[in-house]
Amino acid sequence: MRNIVLPGEMISDRPQRIENTYVENGRTYSKIMGMYEPNSRGVIPLEGSWSPNTEDTVVGVVMEQRNKVFVIDLRFFGRCLLVPGKFDEYSFEPGEIIEAKIKEVENRKTIVLSDGKLLEGGRMIRVKPKKVLRVIGKKNTMINQIREITKTDIVVGLNGLIWMRGGNIELAEEAIFKVEREAHTSGLTESIKQYLETRTKSE
Amino acid sequence: MGGGPNKPELVIKGKRTDGRDFNELRPIKITASPLENAGGSAYLEWGNNKVMCGVYGPKEANPRHLADPTQAVIKCRYMMAPFSSLSEHGRSGPNRRATEISKVVKEVFENVVMTKEYPGSQIEVYIEILQGDGGTRVAGVTAAAVALATSGIPMRDLPYAVSVGRIGDHLTVDFNMIEDNYSDSDMPMAIAPRNNEILLLQMDGDLTKQQVLDGIQMGIDAGKQITEIQRNALKAAYEATTK
Repeated sequence: MRNIVLPGEMISDRPQRIENTYVENGRTYSKIMGMYEPNSRGVIPLEGSWSPNTEDTVVGVVMEQRNKVFVIDLRFFGRCLLVPGKFDEYSFEPGEIIEAKIKEVENRKTIVLSDGKLLEGGRMIRVKPKKVLRVIGKKNTMINQIREITKTDIVVGLNGLIWMRGGNIELAEEAIFKVEREAHTSGLTESIKQYLETRTKSE
Repeated sequence: MGGGPNKPELVIKGKRTDGRDFNELRPIKITASPLENAGGSAYLEWGNNKVMCGVYGPKEANPRHLADPTQAVIKCRYMMAPFSSLSEHGRSGPNRRATEISKVVKEVFENVVMTKEYPGSQIEVYIEILQGDGGTRVAGVTAAAVALATSGIPMRDLPYAVSVGRIGDHLTVDFNMIEDNYSDSDMPMAIAPRNNEILLLQMDGDLTKQQVLDGIQMGIDAGKQITEIQRNALKAAYEATTK
């Protein structure tokens, strides 16, 4: 049974190493608002900002070009730069949407990107960064089923920006926002599948 | 704290002017995350007080020279809206009172938020008093705690605040505007409920040592209700979609 826990709520009466908790006077307390199942690995956060890791796929908007380096807006407070490698030749215009991989995070503040790829046309939506993993699903199940049923090209950035194009784009967008709203419920992949199928039949 | 020829009768037949008992709070209602664009937010109604609170961050500290390489900096702004009050409290712009309250509220959250997790960054807490009726700083702290929890920033505890004071010989909880203006003493305090750590304690007027100790105990007893309301508000924001 998963429960909502709040900051300062006691999780265990002995010191334990659980994600997103702290130990004081031999007891373990939660430090965030999240979902916790007894004897699980950690408290799953319900809200929060994005913390970048290397190899994350992100979606962003090109802001400006300085020499050969592009400044990208990832909805992150620090600087985000796309630095071309030896054999890369990028030619992006400001305002274009790109997909990229994080090569390096310096001091938790500056993000260096690589493997930039232009995403032409389509539209971009934003979901809360802590809900992105649910949009992707375990082994991509959730996002693959949305792609299959709506026939939409979707690129999910772990920073919370999602780009999509073609197919039944309205339905795909609605489904993603539905996942975001109901991210903390169980059996979501199945219920989204039903939702998508009933919606496609009725149209 | 007052006297003067116009002092109204604050205790009538053992009850207060609005019919409450001495240890009774005004009704409190909290809505968690009403705002889309803020990182975390809360709206609180405490009697006639109406408070909106928004939290941003952690983000890059600005101006740069204020950044601390070992921990996050908390910035707090308490502000009364120009239409919030009948008297001159509500004039717009930062004034002596707003600056002071911003400082003490900032110190409350410096002791609760785990600032060490975000070195070199800044967390912003904005408290806007839309309508004031006595005890706005305690309402602001209570709302800001909920807003910080909805933003996902790690905290040791979910603090609340409550004011205690003295009317004549009666220790009294949660003053409204008239009581605030004419009572003998007023003591707002903020408390972390997990171990009853006191995070803010101010006092106007005079209290004896025993009265201070009794007052703190009275605030802690009343605070159990406030904590319950805060927790229910946070859970309600998610449980609505669980079923």
